[in-house]
Amino acid sequence: MIDQSAARALHPLEVKIILAFSSGDMIDSARVREKLGFKEGQDQQAFSWLVAKGVLEEADRQTEVFYELTPFGQEWHDEGTPVRRIFSLLRESGPLSLPDIAQKLGFDQKTVGSAFGALSKEGVCAMDESRRAVLARPELPQSLLDTEALLDAAAAHNGSLPETSLTPQQKALVAQYAKKRGAQDAPFRIAERAKVLFRLTPLASEYREAVTALGMTGEELGAITPEMLEKGTWKQGSFRPYNLQIPPARVIPGRRNPYVEFLDSVKDKLVSLGFEEFDGNMVETEFWNSDALFMPQFHSARDIHDVYYIEEPTHAKFIEEPYLSRVAAAHEHGGNTGSRGWQYQFDRDFTRRLILRSQGTVLSARQLPKAKVPGKYFGIVRCFRYDRVDATHLSDFYQTEGIVLGEDVNLRTLLGFLEMFAVEVAGAKEVKYVPGYFPFTEPSIEVHIKHPVLGWFELGGSGIFRPEVTRSLGVDVPVLAWGIGIDRMALMALGLNDLRELFSADLESVRMRRSQYKIQ
Amino acid sequence: MPKIEVNEELFFGLAGKTWSDKEEFEEDLTVAKAELDEWDTSLSADRERTIKIELNDTNRPDLWSTAGLARQLRMYRTRSIPSYPFFASRKKALKAPYRVVVEKSVKGVRPWLAGLVAKGKPISDALLRDMIQTQEKLAWNFGRKRKGVSIGIYRIALIEWPVHYRGVDPDKVSFVPLQETRTMTLNQILEQHPKGIEYASILKGRPVHPLLTDAKGRVLSYPPIINSADLGAVQVGDAEIFIEVTGSDYPSVALSSAIMACDLADMGFEIDNVQVDYEYDTPFGSSVVFPYYFQEEVSVPLDDANRLLGSSLEMADALEALTRMGLCAYSTDGAVIHVAPPEYRNDFLHPFDIVEDIMIGVGMEKFVPQRPTDFTIGRLTPIERFSRKAKSIMVGLGYQEMIYNYLGSGKDYAEKMQVSAEGLVKIANPMTENYEYVRNSPLPGLLQTESVSAKASYPHRTFEVGKVVLKAPEVNYGVVTRQYIGFLTSHAQADYNEIASHVAAFMYLLGKEYTVRESSDSRFVPGRQVDVLVDGARVGIFGELHPLVLEAFGVMMPCAAGELDLEMLLED
Repeated sequence: MIDQSAARALHPLEVKIILAFSSGDMIDSARVREKLGFKEGQDQQAFSWLVAKGVLEEADRQTEVFYELTPFGQEWHDEGTPVRRIFSLLRESGPLSLPDIAQKLGFDQKTVGSAFGALSKEGVCAMDESRRAVLARPELPQSLLDTEALLDAAAAHNGSLPETSLTPQQKALVAQYAKKRGAQDAPFRIAERAKVLFRLTPLASEYREAVTALGMTGEELGAITPEMLEKGTWKQGSFRPYNLQIPPARVIPGRRNPYVEFLDSVKDKLVSLGFEEFDGNMVETEFWNSDALFMPQFHSARDIHDVYYIEEPTHAKFIEEPYLSRVAAAHEHGGNTGSRGWQYQFDRDFTRRLILRSQGTVLSARQLPKAKVPGKYFGIVRCFRYDRVDATHLSDFYQTEGIVLGEDVNLRTLLGFLEMFAVEVAGAKEVKYVPGYFPFTEPSIEVHIKHPVLGWFELGGSGIFRPEVTRSLGVDVPVLAWGIGIDRMALMALGLNDLRELFSADLESVRMRRSQYKIQ
Repeated sequence: MPKIEVNEELFFGLAGKTWSDKEEFEEDLTVAKAELDEWDTSLSADRERTIKIELNDTNRPDLWSTAGLARQLRMYRTRSIPSYPFFASRKKALKAPYRVVVEKSVKGVRPWLAGLVAKGKPISDALLRDMIQTQEKLAWNFGRKRKGVSIGIYRIALIEWPVHYRGVDPDKVSFVPLQETRTMTLNQILEQHPKGIEYASILKGRPVHPLLTDAKGRVLSYPPIINSADLGAVQVGDAEIFIEVTGSDYPSVALSSAIMACDLADMGFEIDNVQVDYEYDTPFGSSVVFPYYFQEEVSVPLDDANRLLGSSLEMADALEALTRMGLCAYSTDGAVIHVAPPEYRNDFLHPFDIVEDIMIGVGMEKFVPQRPTDFTIGRLTPIERFSRKAKSIMVGLGYQEMIYNYLGSGKDYAEKMQVSAEGLVKIANPMTENYEYVRNSPLPGLLQTESVSAKASYPHRTFEVGKVVLKAPEVNYGVVTRQYIGFLTSHAQADYNEIASHVAAFMYLLGKEYTVRESSDSRFVPGRQVDVLVDGARVGIFGELHPLVLEAFGVMMPCAAGELDLEMLLED
């Protein structure tokens, strides 16, 4: 038994055939077109669908030959054959040389030559003594009129003449013009088409019952058109249900990049926690990148193989005062910071050296002279490291950094912030703090979190800026400084495992990428 | 950050505890800011098992050795501070059985030397390996690749005292260095010996090079390059060794010799003093007995410590915490903490450096996180807010947002783009030519996408908002960073008209009136490209990308593209 959903999925063309014929009936294109008024193509579509459903089976197959007008033949029909047009021209204009004919009619020499040859052969044309074509007889020969009749017949049959409809003479004539598959300069081409006779199987009756039970007629409305709405014709009909299980066609939407969206979600989270965003130059000086952070100029992390130097220009013109003098004093002997300093000669030339910033902390240092108290600032900024690029290292990447200034901030408030980041930003369930080391903070703390998927890992580093850093930059209150590594979280959020993929140039992979993170 | 390998048996012995649980071991290591790197307990017998540990504190070289790290863990647990009576100091004179003479000639090249003698037990294989590791870590990380500090170890049995340290002509002195069989001059060593080549930059071009000889003039070593093959080779089984440290930074030299002395004492050696007589004056005097205690007492008020930590520790708590860290601390008035740094430490630059030791000594778990109470208003930068607006318009126009690296090759950024590399900021020390320039346009990235995405269904419409670096000779740095938007459309019918319509919609929605002026940029087709002008100022360009550019990127589909300076659009 055919169920309703199978019946409902039938196309109106199928419904019409099922309702019009009975099991055992033999049908073919001609019959279907005649009885149901199907247009060309509709019958074949309906047959192929019904065969696939087992409602029709092939009973007989014969090959029929058709002569089809080529575009060239269509032109002959519409504009007149070259023979006809030369004949008419000569009749109107009198004798003309062949090149003149070609020029007047827009033909090439070859076309004119062969048409003139054909006319000469029939005695219609001749060449006069000054090598001009002249008419020798006032009317066209029968053979050429027959050709025109054939073109007219073909045009009347939608450009396709069944071989069976031709007289033997016509067959012989068309055979002269037609080539199989059609050459460009032939007016006809030969096409072979299978004429298939189908038999309706017993399944047809079952479908018919189901279709009748549903009240389907095959006349249901298809697409809703503006015209239908305007005229209200939809009120008289019912809507054909569509097959709703067909996979939809693909569309390519414009969209945000999922990695950038992830970074934005972290920015939004930090803003919601009261942090103001900062930003700055990617080209920086050794001064702001490291010296202002109290990293001694001989520190191993300041080796030539750790930062990228700019080739031209090599140095900034100047470093802002009073910061240069204060920082230099802090390095040399502590200055007014209460420190004994690193006890070496600060290099005021080296400090102007231009580099690509290697850490986001540079922006924290730059913020200090203009920071408000209390104040909270952050940045997610591109940094550059002298690293070989692989799955876990990039030559440029994002760092997330921030500072908190306040009269009363201290180690415990620092831990409070770290806990907030761990829970709010990273979705951590457990947090652990361990002593760390950074040249610019004292004390220094690393925060480790237990992530539901990644397990324990280091979320970031933090600490309280050393007085050598803050006092030199004009800040007298304690400053909490923190940095969180969000690359691993980004990879997980995007279902990736190679950092290079975050910056992928491959359009298809970016289009298909889905983010899996939840913004809390 | 230094990474060391410790022999498990030796380390556990010195630390006075045997760990079997990895997590507990990792937990205990945190007091030394150390991290377990590798510990494969399934391998070999414990005697040969090693543990790899990473040390995070670059200012605590005393922790970069088996004995030093073990000492920190042991003291934290036992609260007992070892004493090292063999240290001389300004206040404490000691007689030294050995003597080194530092001659005036070496002052200009590598002026400082410290020494010590260890004896009393034969050196085992594990000990020798450990000693060499400590020597290397100190010289490489703390000594800045031997420039600031280098260390030599010798068998005493072969040396005639006193030893002499002097400056010599590198072409006139020769000896047989370690790993060689022939006699070489100092300059030949710098040019041909692997160690010479590695460290040549420290001495190259100097008229005088440092040399260490014994009383008979036989060469001990050529610091900081290489030891002699005769007097400078130490082997398993040697029971008496001489260690010298030379360098350009006196406190680092003195500290390195102190670290070696304390480590060897912890491992059961007797330490003998070495008197170093300088032919010139030094901050520690002209005749110094090593190991020498040179550190100064540091102090911090308890109130300052409590304020920084957010704690309310009593003086006794603070002193107790410092003891666990191995620091001799006391207070005379109950208000100020005084600390005499241990012999092997010199990392107290600021009084706050004591506070961190209090924190670790008390234990992190004692500090309860506190929610911040200061109220502040959070906000994004104006350019970030503006960029987000720009992005949402581009998405509405059907564009896919992309993000690219900012470093690339001259080939991608200039050559393929049909522009000169003059406008690009170049890196002086690139690691590879693939990352040699900083970009000055977002377009090479978008074209990179086209070159690898021919199989992705068309149309392709992509954009990126990101930074570029432009040369600007008039400003202090000579370069500026700007926020740009780049956009590109690619398909069979992509043309000027399409990109022009998109720019029109974009500018309308941003509320920007603009005009266009025909431009002549080699990246675009002549006659199909325009500058975008806002109030007469050029803010960007768009047009049909030149087939030369497309061909260079291997792109077989027409592309129209443009770039706009968002910071200029943000203004006014």
